[in-house]
Amino acid sequence: MIFVALEPLVGGAVAAASVGLFAIGVYGVTGSNNLVRQLLSIEVMFNSILLIVILLLSYDSLIATLYSIILTSVVAGEIIVVIAVVVSLYRAARSLTSEPLEEAGV
Amino acid sequence: MVEDPSGLDGLRSIAVVGLSVSLLLSGYLVVRVRDLVYASLALAVLGLVNAMLIALLGFSIVAAFLVIVYVGAAVMFIIVSVSMLGGGGQEEWRPARGAAMAALFGAGLAVALAATGAYQAYSTPTPVSLREVSETILSRYGPAIGVLFVALAATLIEAIAVAKARR
Repeated sequence: MIFVALEPLVGGAVAAASVGLFAIGVYGVTGSNNLVRQLLSIEVMFNSILLIVILLLSYDSLIATLYSIILTSVVAGEIIVVIAVVVSLYRAARSLTSEPLEEAGV
Repeated sequence: MVEDPSGLDGLRSIAVVGLSVSLLLSGYLVVRVRDLVYASLALAVLGLVNAMLIALLGFSIVAAFLVIVYVGAAVMFIIVSVSMLGGGGQEEWRPARGAAMAALFGAGLAVALAATGAYQAYSTPTPVSLREVSETILSRYGPAIGVLFVALAATLIEAIAVAKARR
């Protein structure tokens, strides 16, 4: 099968995309002071990590599937909590930037 | 090595490379689009492209789960919340700091992947059925899934408590 012969190309492309996506996520988290932008950037990093998990565990498709499902479930819960914190902070400070948190010493 | 006469596998490889590029473009949009609502929509596109890529790699159950749970619920929740909150103040960018950290962490991850041989780790997976996945979850990973279920329920309650808390 041609796909088997191209497996190194496919793996290399996916790994390179994962690294690039992770770097983009880090750029968003450390470069912006907006909490929502930082949450979105963390989600970009999650997508990168999910691809890496699938790539590294592709030798056992059952394990890769299970780990990916658990990872996605945990991240969905994390999103709910972070959005709740952001809403709470917005109510208190009327701002979505990280300055109120930095002033409070968090 | 026998070549596939239909040429579909070659096309699939090209599609994987194309989707990888689309993934990077949508990730860039998430970070750089000024309006947060559009950035959240770009995140939904990123999740869909990621699901397509994962399906092409042979993990269709994970792709379906990603579309239903992640894009369909979590990212939609982000979009609705961001739409209701609005911009929330002036966003300031520190591009030099962001670029330095991105280069540092990106290089670190690239080195780690190269050291573990992840660039050549991909092998076409054997098909796995939904019945097999659910049976394994319930038998071998039953306690772990139970803990995950309780943790997610506690997370939901915590989120409601935080959002309803007074100043």
